[in-house]
Parts: sequence; structure tokens; C-alpha cells
Amino acid sequence: MRDLPSKEANLFREILKCYELKQYKRGFKGADQILKKFPEHGETLAMKGLFYNHLEKKELAFEFVKKGIRHDMKSHICWHVFGLLYRSDKNYEEAAKCYAHALKYDKENIQILRDLSLLQIQMRNLEGYVDTRHILLELRPQNRQYWVAVAIGYQLLGKPELGVKVLTTYEETLKDLPSTPDYEHSELLLYHNTLLEEAGDFQVALDHLDTIEKQVCDRKAIKEKRAKYFLALGRLTEAEAAYRELLSLNPDNMGYFEGLGKSLGLGSDCQTDEDEVKILEMFKQLQKEYPRSNAAKRLPLRYATGEAFVKVTDEYIRSMLRKGVPSLFVNIKTLYSDSAKQAAVEKLVLGYLIALDKSRGFDHSGAVVEPPTALLWTLYFLAQHFDLKRETEQALEYINRAIEHTPTLVELYMAKGRILKHAGDHVAAMAALNEARELDLQDRFINTKCTKYMLRADNMADAEKTTILFTRADIPNPLNDLVDMQTQWFSLEAGESNVRQGQIGRALKRFHQIDKHFNDYTEDQFDFHTYCLRKMTLRAYVSMVRLEDQLRSHPYYVRAAQDAVQCYVRLFDKPDGSESEEMEGMTEAEKKKFKSKQRKAELKAQQEAEEKKKKAAATAAETAKKAGGNAAAAAAAVKGDEDPEGTKYTKCEDPLGEALKFLQPLQQLADTRIETHLMAFEIYVRKNKLLLALKALLKSIKIDANHATLHEQLVRFTLAIQKSSSAKTLKPSVKAVIDKHWSELYGTHGQDLTAFNAGFIEKTKDQGSVAHVISAAMSVYLIDPSKSLAKAEELLFSVEDEKRFGRTRTLENVILVQKTLKGFKSARQQEWKAKAGVWFPNAVAFK
Amino acid sequence: MNIREATLDDMIPMQNCNLHNLPENYQMKYYFYHSLTWPQLSYVAEDEKGRIIGYVLAKLEEDPTAEPHGHITSLSVMRTYRRLGVAEKLMTQSQNAMRDVFNCKFVSLHVRKSNRAALQLYRDTLQFTVQDIEKKYYADGEDAYACRKTLQ
Repeated sequence: MRDLPSKEANLFREILKCYELKQYKRGFKGADQILKKFPEHGETLAMKGLFYNHLEKKELAFEFVKKGIRHDMKSHICWHVFGLLYRSDKNYEEAAKCYAHALKYDKENIQILRDLSLLQIQMRNLEGYVDTRHILLELRPQNRQYWVAVAIGYQLLGKPELGVKVLTTYEETLKDLPSTPDYEHSELLLYHNTLLEEAGDFQVALDHLDTIEKQVCDRKAIKEKRAKYFLALGRLTEAEAAYRELLSLNPDNMGYFEGLGKSLGLGSDCQTDEDEVKILEMFKQLQKEYPRSNAAKRLPLRYATGEAFVKVTDEYIRSMLRKGVPSLFVNIKTLYSDSAKQAAVEKLVLGYLIALDKSRGFDHSGAVVEPPTALLWTLYFLAQHFDLKRETEQALEYINRAIEHTPTLVELYMAKGRILKHAGDHVAAMAALNEARELDLQDRFINTKCTKYMLRADNMADAEKTTILFTRADIPNPLNDLVDMQTQWFSLEAGESNVRQGQIGRALKRFHQIDKHFNDYTEDQFDFHTYCLRKMTLRAYVSMVRLEDQLRSHPYYVRAAQDAVQCYVRLFDKPDGSESEEMEGMTEAEKKKFKSKQRKAELKAQQEAEEKKKKAAATAAETAKKAGGNAAAAAAAVKGDEDPEGTKYTKCEDPLGEALKFLQPLQQLADTRIETHLMAFEIYVRKNKLLLALKALLKSIKIDANHATLHEQLVRFTLAIQKSSSAKTLKPSVKAVIDKHWSELYGTHGQDLTAFNAGFIEKTKDQGSVAHVISAAMSVYLIDPSKSLAKAEELLFSVEDEKRFGRTRTLENVILVQKTLKGFKSARQQEWKAKAGVWFPNAVAFK
Repeated sequence: MNIREATLDDMIPMQNCNLHNLPENYQMKYYFYHSLTWPQLSYVAEDEKGRIIGYVLAKLEEDPTAEPHGHITSLSVMRTYRRLGVAEKLMTQSQNAMRDVFNCKFVSLHVRKSNRAALQLYRDTLQFTVQDIEKKYYADGEDAYACRKTLQ
């Protein structure tokens, strides 16, 4: 700091202290005191701005800090403060620039260097992070944190061997090692070992374990690492012993079993009959050793085949049915990818049922009389089994029998609900789940499931009423608790229900909410960059950083992003956003009637909301009074949602631009999913960005050239080119690139789409895939909407052919056919509905 | 069923599992905090497909006036995965880590007074003893049993 007489200089030092101690009001007063005498003292002005920021006055904060800089362009304090301001505003890019500027005027300022490095790691500027951390290390070589940070930087840069060097140098400077293991030092040593492992020399890593073992607290980690290294080095006898020891500590860890199998040379994909005998023998021994281990009992089912499979499965299922384990079917069905195993299981369990009915045992030997619940759990199993096969009638018969047997078991009603859901009756499914819920009102799990089913049935009112039975009751709008607690499943399910009901604004609001949760997860890591260096939990820290880099590949984000893109694309196609899916294909009179019904419902909802608001206001005021009154905060809480309909989103200027924002993380993190590129095409073709659309198509082809939707997109791509070409907007350079890739997209076909589509129909005719038929029909229609309706309809109706399409004629696909007909405004919709109703008698969609 | 130490990758599914099962919920940062401070203490249970169907979220109580002890922040198993002893197995692993890694002498936890099933699990199956009743421990005003178990 400069240019202040000693009294004010002291005062200035004091306000810096106030900032550190978070005494913002006091600091603010001190700054004012200096400014009275020296109103143009830049650094004081900047500090005053910083205090403003902490007193929730952001605009004034920026104003004062900028004023400060104008008066003192070369002060590191002013620039540092400016950076802190940007940082608290989450504008890390600008903040980093300010810090870098501040460092120009004070190269060795530890605090600024540390702040800069934090932003660099948060933004994954890893090169910059390593550089800054090197400077810090040179300035403070006696501090462990600074050494470790450099090593981490190198590891994240993919240079673990350099990290090892740094840590080795540091460890050499240590003189007195603690006599008993110290947790932080222990974590550091284990981190060191992990770096050696990542560097790829397992022998070195293994030897290192011997040297650190005595100083390590986490002995399990040592054992796990050792077992892994033995295995990697092919020292199989030692690996076997190591995994056996680990199993004695945790006989339910699948990883340990796998390790043991590998060290015995068993359990690889191409196993011989001999291997199978050995592996089953191994598990027999292990079961004896660990009678309470589920894994030891269950794993043989994975490896056994043929007669041996029947034998081990018979034993396993019997014991689980006897015990009444509700998750038995979910556990067993993972075996069904092998159809022989599925058939074997079916035969076994049907056999139990016959035997139980006749002689109360799982077989007719009469040797054992099972408890009466064995019959119940057998029926429950069979209901789920036949539901999986979509044999609804059978499934319902079994589950109803089970319910008759024990009418108070929650799980049975849940299973019944699932069967009805799969059969297409969401309303009846919801009713079954509500029965389940009412059997156990204390249990949040069944409440959650029931809420989900209500949302699937688009019954938002009941869903909200039900779910808030378990949220915090002491806030004005209990639904906000779901948002505060980052309840992603609810936002997703509710958003998708909104989409079905044509409430695009509401839906988008929820999908943006999910995006925000993920932003918050990203933001959450910030404090841990410093925290973990102090705590030395470095292995966990690095996995956090790596997790954050992949965060948006999480299924919740992928689903929300996909939904949001669809919404925005729809908004682009129909800007007013008022037409719901149900209205597509309606006559004008029908639309009018539908709209007026909707308006009435909205009006009612509005009135209810008003009422709720009033009540909430009263409660909040009450609470505020009790709490000794922050009336303003209470009022703010009540004011709540200014845009419940999400018009902010439906009225947005650039829906495709918004869609792209959701898509971009997927292009980075979900590049191997074809859906990512199918979505990209939908956006780019609408933006008339033909080269980017081309790129999306090429990526899709690489992933699955036979994908049904891809074909329709190829047709639309040619149509877009033709349109652009006849409008004379197709640039020759663009055309040249497309021509270059033509054969990758269309093979030997030229621009003749009819021939291309005919080729597709011919090529896929033996596939028996409904999805491909829909794609072909869509293409026929798109190529010539005025003349080809009959042909497109005929294609769709070919799905009737049981022999060809029995396998893929699922409820979802049949509904898709119906929607496609609706899109064509086909006159044959009723005809289709009637047929579909025969195939799916429970499905509401066809009633 | 697979019982293993929780990693950072498990935090989102753990939060999801918690929100499905229990009325006491936490923001993600709190899960991060646990796993980044005591990475050895939390465990998860996975089903055959690798989905998280149960977890124990645990910490160290670092009260300088008392001897070091572990604390169970949250434990739950999806209803459909009951009767396999999952909760007990998760607890056993977490408790062993408390003892082996952090030298804990005992472990503590809170149970809702109305939650008979949980109390039964802790008291009868896991050998906890009720030490005390903490009045209005929960946000909704319910009392909690403060339970504890010595680690050998």
C-alpha cells in the first residue's frame, strides 16, 4: 500500500485484517474513515468496494473497485480485489486475468499466487496451474502443501512420473518421521504409490509398498494394491493368497472374487468345460468358508452352464424363496441375456409352483415342507418373470393370486403397478402404487415410487401432494425443498410429464433446473482444491477432479439434455408453444374444444395457486414472527416463483442456440452415444448448417449405420440440400465437401431419394423391425407428401404381420406408429387404434 | 450384491438413494465433504447391474475433548433390497475402517424415536446401546435416540 501517512497506513492495515476476519462492517467503516481524508486513495476505494460486495451490494462494489483502479493502476491490491470480486461473481476467466495483472506489480505475492492457482485448477488450465504452483514451491519450499500441489498438477497433466520425482525430492527432505502412523503422512505415501501405479511400472510400485507399509494407516489399501500388482505382474500364487486375505475381510466384495478367479486363471470370457468345473468347485469351497456371503452364492450362476447351471440355480432360488428375498427376480433376470438360462429358470420356478400347490414343498419328494410364504414369493417371482416377457395376462394372474394370499405386502402392489404400467395403463398402475403406499405411510421409498407413477400418469396435482409428505414442512413452499436438496429424479419425471401435456415452458424450467444442479456440483469442488491439500486426502481429491471432468455424462444430465433439446427444437418448429402433442392431427373444432378445456383447467389451477400463496404467506409471517422477525426474508420467500409457466424459456429468441448449450457437453462426454449425434443433426439441419449436419450424420454412421432414425435423417439431409440448392444459397465450397462424403452417406445412390428409400426397405425387410418401418414410411411421406400418403400408410400397416414383427411390436413401437399416422393426418388412425387395442387390451392409448 | 468402499463416483447415486429412502437429505457438497475427508469410512452396496441400492455415509467426530470416535451420518438400503443383510454388512465394513484406519474406540449414531425398524436393527442386530434421548434433534421436532457401540 502506498501514499498514506502513518496513522492512515495503520488504519489501512487494520481494514485488511478486518477482511481476513470477515468483519466487513467494521472494515467498511475504517475505509470510510480513510476516504474522508484521502478520497482518491485507490486501494482504499477498492477495499470499500470489496466490503460492499460482502454486504450484498454488488453494483456499488464494482463501481468502487473500478474507481480504485482508475486512481491506482499499478497497485497489486486493487487488481487483486478486482479479481476477488469477479471470483465471487463466478466469472473465473476475468478473475484470473485480474490476478495475473496484480502479479505484474507484485510477483511474489503468495496470496495472489494461491488465488490464481485455484482458478487455474478450477478451470482446468493445468499448464498454468503447474507453473503457478512451481513459483509457490520455490517461495515456500518448507511447506508440504506446495510440493504436493505440483505433483498433482503433473498427474492431471498425464505425467505421473514427474509427480513421483517431486514427491521423492520432498520425502528426502523429511528428517524425523513419526514413530506411529500419522494419517496425513500415510495418505501422502499412498498417493505417491498411486502415482507409481499410474506411471505403469508395477514392480516399482510393489517394492514401494514394502517401504511405506509401516507408516500407513489404511492397511486395506496396501493389501488391495499389493493384490492388484501381483496379478498385473503375473505372480499368481501370491495374488491368490492376497485376494484370499482380502476376502476374509470382506466376503461380499465382487472385485476380490474376480481377482481370486483371475489369479487362478479362471473366469475369463472363453471358459472351457474344465474351467467351469474348477470355478464351481472354488465357489463351493468359498461358500463353506463364508456362509453369509451373498456373492459367493450368486457368482456361480454367472459361470455355470447347462446341467450345472440348473443345479446351482435350483439351490440358489429355493433358498431365496424360502427366505423371502424381494429382490430375487431383479437379481436373477440379469442372467436372462442367455436365453437358455432364462428358459431353465422358468422351468424351475413353474415346477416349484406346481409342487407347492400339491405338496407344500419345492418338489414332490415330500422331504421338506416349506413355510407358507414360499408360495407367496414364488408367485411374486413368476409375476415378474412373465411381466418381463410381456405376457400381461399371465403376470396379472400370478400377482393377483399372490395378493389374495397376502393382501398386506407392499411389494406385491408395486409389482402389480409395474405390470400395468408395462401394459400401457398408467392410471391403473398409479392406483396400485397408491394402494402400496397406503399400506406403509412411514416409508419414503414407496412414497417416491408412487409419486413417480403419478407423474407417469400425468397427474401432477396428486404427485405434488404425495411427495411433499416427506419434504421439510417448515418452508413456505415444500416443493422447493426438493429443489434445494437437488432431487433430480423429480425434476426429470415432472419435466417429462410437462412435455407430454404440452407445457413446454414448465418442462424447460425443470430441465434447466437439472442443468443448474450439475453446475452446482461443479462449483462444489472449488473449496476442496485448498481443503484436500491440507487434509492430504489426495487420492480421493484426484478422483473428484476426474469425476467433475466427466460429470455431465451422468444419465440424469444426458436424459435432461435430450429432453431439453427436443423441447427447444419443438419451440423452433412451432414458436407459440401452445400446441400440445395431443392436439397434433386434431380438426379445428376438436382443437377449439380442447383449448377451452385446457383454459378452464388452467384457471382452476391459478386460483388454487393463489390460495396456496396466501396460506404460505400467512405461515411464513407467523414463522418470521416466532423467529424474532426477518420479515423481509419471509416476504422474499413467499414472493417465490415469478414465472411458474416458464415463459422465459418459451419466449426465448434463439431456441436452437439454447438447444446447443444442452448438447455441447454431450458432444464432449457422450460422443459414443448415437443419440447425441442424432440430436445434433436435428439442430443443425434447422439452422441450415449443412456441414455440421453432415458431421453429425458421419458420426452416427460410424456408431450404427443401420440405425432406424439415421435413415430418415439422411433423407431429410438430401431434401435440405435440394432446397438450399434451388434457393441458390448452397455455397460451392459446402457442396464440394458434401460431394466428397456422399458415398459414405448414401453408398452408390445419387440424389434419387425414392430409389434410396426403396433400397432401404429392401435391405431391412427381413429385420422385422418396427422402428425401421416407421423410418421408411416417414421417408416415403417426406419425399412427396402430396402423393405418397397411401404408400406410407401401407408400410406402417405392414406391422400387422405377426410373423415378421411379433418380436419388435412392443407397446412403445405401436404407439409410435399411431403418432406417425397422426402426423400424416391419416384417415386410417381409428383402424390402427382398433388393431392395437386387440394387441394391448390394457393400454389406455388405444381406448 | 457387491459391498465396497465408496468412491467419489458414487456420490450422485448415493444422494439419489438417500432421497428415495429417507427424509433427512443433504446437498452434494456434504457428500463430497465426507468422502474427501474420510474416504475410507463410507461404503456402498451395488446390485448385479452396478446400481447403488444402499450406502452408509460415515465420518469421524473430531471433538478435541473426547476420544476419537466414528459417527454414522446416514444409512439406508432400498426397500426392495431388504432381507439380504445389506445394512449390517455396510455397517461392519465402515466400523472396521473406523477402528483400523482412525483408531476409533466407539461409533455413534442417531435414530428417530418413531423408527422402530431402525432401532431394532441397531440395537438387536448391530449391538448398539441407547445412551440418551436428544430432544427435538430432527428438523421436524422429533426426538432422537443417541446410540453408541464400542469397537473392538
